[in-house]
This record gives sequence, structure tokens and C-alpha cells, in this order.
Amino acid sequence: MISEFNRNKVINVVSLDAATLAVHGILDDSIYSLELDFKVRIDDLVCFAVSGRWLRWTTPECPEALKFLAQAEGFCLEPGIDEKIHKIIGRTACRHFANLFIECAYAVRETVKLLHWQQAQADGSELSLKDFLQRGKPQEGVAGATERSTAAANKVEIKADSAAAVAVDGLKEPAKKTAGNAAVGKGGFVIDLHVHTSPASPCASDSVTAMIIEAKRIGLQGICLTDHNYLWSESEIEALRRKHDFPVFRANEIVTEQGDMLVFGFYEDVQGIIKLRELKRRVAAVGGFIVAAHPFRGFLTFGADDIGLTREKAASREMFQLVDGIEVLNGKVTETENGLAQEVAQALKLPATGGSDAHDVSTVGFYATVFTQAVNSEKELVAALHKGNYQPVKFR
Amino acid sequence: MANNILEFSLNRSTSVEPLNDGNLLSICQLRDTFTAAEIRMLVKMPELEIAEISGSFRHAYLDEIEDLNAALQQLLGVRVGAGMLKIIKGLLGEAENLDQVVYMVEEACHGVILHLTKKVLLKAPEDAEAKFAFYANMVKKSIRLYDRCAAFAKGSPLVAELEAEQRAGGER
Repeated sequence: MISEFNRNKVINVVSLDAATLAVHGILDDSIYSLELDFKVRIDDLVCFAVSGRWLRWTTPECPEALKFLAQAEGFCLEPGIDEKIHKIIGRTACRHFANLFIECAYAVRETVKLLHWQQAQADGSELSLKDFLQRGKPQEGVAGATERSTAAANKVEIKADSAAAVAVDGLKEPAKKTAGNAAVGKGGFVIDLHVHTSPASPCASDSVTAMIIEAKRIGLQGICLTDHNYLWSESEIEALRRKHDFPVFRANEIVTEQGDMLVFGFYEDVQGIIKLRELKRRVAAVGGFIVAAHPFRGFLTFGADDIGLTREKAASREMFQLVDGIEVLNGKVTETENGLAQEVAQALKLPATGGSDAHDVSTVGFYATVFTQAVNSEKELVAALHKGNYQPVKFR
Repeated sequence: MANNILEFSLNRSTSVEPLNDGNLLSICQLRDTFTAAEIRMLVKMPELEIAEISGSFRHAYLDEIEDLNAALQQLLGVRVGAGMLKIIKGLLGEAENLDQVVYMVEEACHGVILHLTKKVLLKAPEDAEAKFAFYANMVKKSIRLYDRCAAFAKGSPLVAELEAEQRAGGER
């Protein structure tokens, strides 16, 4: 038995005074070694005096991460802060500092519970730690202003036609053409089948209006909104179509235990995880269409080729027996991963689609799907998907 | 309170061991002031799917998790990779006493990813110039790295070549 990768993390929390904690975290693994120090106010869990130190790192530019750690100053370390740490510290500094910070935040919350119980004991309480915490829940809503990432939070209200939704980031709507877009161009009818918008997808940064304007500008003939587990209403889509004189369709990117699925012609509001087999049952019952989204989306530093995943092995995944098509051109994965998806689609004789997976205007239309016939409605889109007269294209 | 005596201490250890059949055993252990827990996970290679999983969890103030091992079996077949956290959370649920279990499963998965990452990083040359080129090429090969951390942020020397190529592509 030889362990080839080890990661050890140690977090220590000390009381500096009655109102302040000092936190020291160490992450030491086979690749990285780093430390984090900060202080926290006990009453509101707000952290300050954040600093870090590298001992071992990889790229020549990793040391630059340290200057971004100060962005964590003022974070309130309540439950729910993890996503903010990932987004801000992970994205601008380093994901390993973010990992350590999240661990430290957990340690802080546990420490404060312990201190509250100890204080209650000193004040004469005879409750056990468990009874005290279950009765008192002293740390619920300390500051009340922490972003919580819940499924419910995704249910943002979006009025497609409202001025509030028109955050177009400086983009101007092209002049409306007298002839509509619903005609087959020389190369076919091109739709980006995989587009995310903000705020419907929390990970997206541009509004639906901005996405549509950009799609028109670059010459797409339609886009399909595939926000994560988010169901646009028929009236919202119709309003967008009319306002922009542009074909807008709705689908849904639904999370299953076997990965993300683009689902067309299925209008149930699915929240959380659904088993792919169950999703298949429900979608098939209404004549919908399931596409396996980015089925071989890999990792930051290695891909399917690095781990020896062959076409045969890849094609044997259970998922491919349950989907109707495979996304073989996805704008968020590598050429190798798209290539493997293409090989699997061919081997299994499954229809192949393309979509940008755009989360901002700069990537909308990067990949798309070209249909041989015009698609004027969602009904027509689903029918066309079943018919199979289309192919994925690099568009932008 | 201010006596420099530790109030709370946490130790978390994750290790990944390749087995003879090529699969990976990842173990995440936690020991802190309140908790003693372990997650053991067998990951099938090269599919990167969770093939076996078991765990134990003891905590000073949270209720015991009934049928923890039965709950963990829901994760069989889940692929270690991008988007796994939402799948793990979705399958195990988000009850307070499952928070740490979810986190430890995620850590065990990260261990697997880092183990495979280490193999790639071992190929980095020692010479400074060649090392720089190695990482600059890495971000070109895997665009997901671009603007995802300080090292590969927009304007970083490591992405200068990539950005120049993007600009040239945009002008064509």
C-alpha cells in the first residue's frame, strides 16, 4: 500500500480577547503548501486582517494570489459563505486558498458554538452541549446578510419585457429586419442550443436581452435558453420573441446523478437532482428530447486522454442508453473532450448537437446546431430534434 | 478567554492510493474538537466513477446519521468531475448533520482529481523558461484554466500568448 497523494489540513482557533478570534490554517499536500491567518469578530463572524503565505506552489505566477486574499476582508463567515469564497478567493486568488478558507470558516462557526455553550455554563446553565445548541441555535442568522445558495434562491423573478431585465452592458439592438429570422439561410437554420442568462443561472453574467442582441449581431437564427433547473414561462419567451423579432426557445439544463442534461419539450419545474432514468421516463411520456450536455467535461489540468478513457469504455456509460442525443460541440470543454463525445455519438449512432454553453455575450454562438429547415416554434424544435436533420457547427 | 490556549482544532487528512487493478482508493478523515469521521471511496478508472463507498460519523452535538452507509450508496456511479458537488448534495440532501459528510465526499473526490493532476505536474520541466512555457501551454490546451485564478488571470504573463492568439483570431 503506497499512498501517492496526501493532503493534510490543520486549523487552529484561539481567543484573542472576549470579542475576537485568531485563526491559523495550514494546507499541506503533495502539490501545494500554504498558510492562512485572519481574525474574526465573535459577535457577527466578520473576518479581518487576512494574510497568507505560500511555502510550495506550481506555476511561476502562483505567488500573485497573495495580493487578492485581502478581498476576503469583511466576509461574514456564516453558513452559506462557501460559494462566495469560491467565487471571489478561488477565482481571483487561488482555489487552494479558497479551500483552506472554507475550512477555516467552518472551524470559526464551530468555535463560536463552543464559546456560547461555555458562556452559558458559566452563567449557570446545566444543559449539555447538544441540548444547548438544539434549543438555542445561537448562531442562526448572526448577521442575516449572507448570500445563501439554495435552490429557492434560483427562483428569481424575471420579467422578460421589463426595463429591469434590460441590462445590456452597452450593447445596442441591431435594426430590425423587415423579413423575420425564421428562414433557412444559405448554410441552414442555425440555433445556439445551449445558452445561460443572468439571473436565471447564477453562474451567468449577462442578461437575456444582452444575449439575444449579441446572437442577432453575429447572425444566429435563434437561441435556446437552457438555464440551470430553471423553467421560463411560455409568455416570457413569447414576449422576448416579439420584442426582439428573433426566435427564442426554451429548454432546461437539468442535473441528474449522471451529469447535466439538456431537455427540450419538457416543462416540469425540476429542482434538485433527478435520476436520469426517471427523467427519461417523464420526458419520453410527453415526447420531449434529452441531450447529454458536455458528457466528457474534464478537469483543469488533465483530460480524458490523460486517464486513458477509450471510445469503447466511454460509450459503455449507462447514460448513453437513456439519452436521445449527445452534445458533441460544447464551448466550455476542450477539443479532445468534444472529440471523444463525437466519437461516442458516431459509435452509438446518436444524433449530435452543438451549443456554446455561453454564460456571457462574448461566447454566445461559439458553437451551434444547424438545421436543414426553419424552426419557428418549440414544437417544431422538438420535432426537428427527433427527426435528426441537423449537425453541430463551429459558428463564431 | 485570552490565555493563548486553543479553543478549537481541526485536522483533516485525505489520501489517495492506487490499487493493483488500476482503481483508486481515496480516504478522507476528519478529527476536530467535536467530530470524528471517515469516508472511504473506491473510484473506478478510467471512468472515474464511484464504485464503492462507506463512512462513519460521530459528532458531539449533531444527531447520529441513521443508515449513513445506505445513504452513501446513492452515490454509486456518480462521476468524479466537474459539477459533482451539486450531484452529491442533491443525492445526499442538505440536512445539517450531513453537511460534513457531503464535504468529506467532495474532499475525497478532490483527492482523486489532485492525484491525477500531480501526474501531469510531474512532467513540468525544471528549467525556468521551459517551465513557464509548460504552464503557458497548459492554459492554451485547457481553456478552463483561463481567468480562473491569479496565475492564469487576464493579463498574466502566462496567458499573454493565448490572449495574442485570441486577438489575432478575432481580427480574422
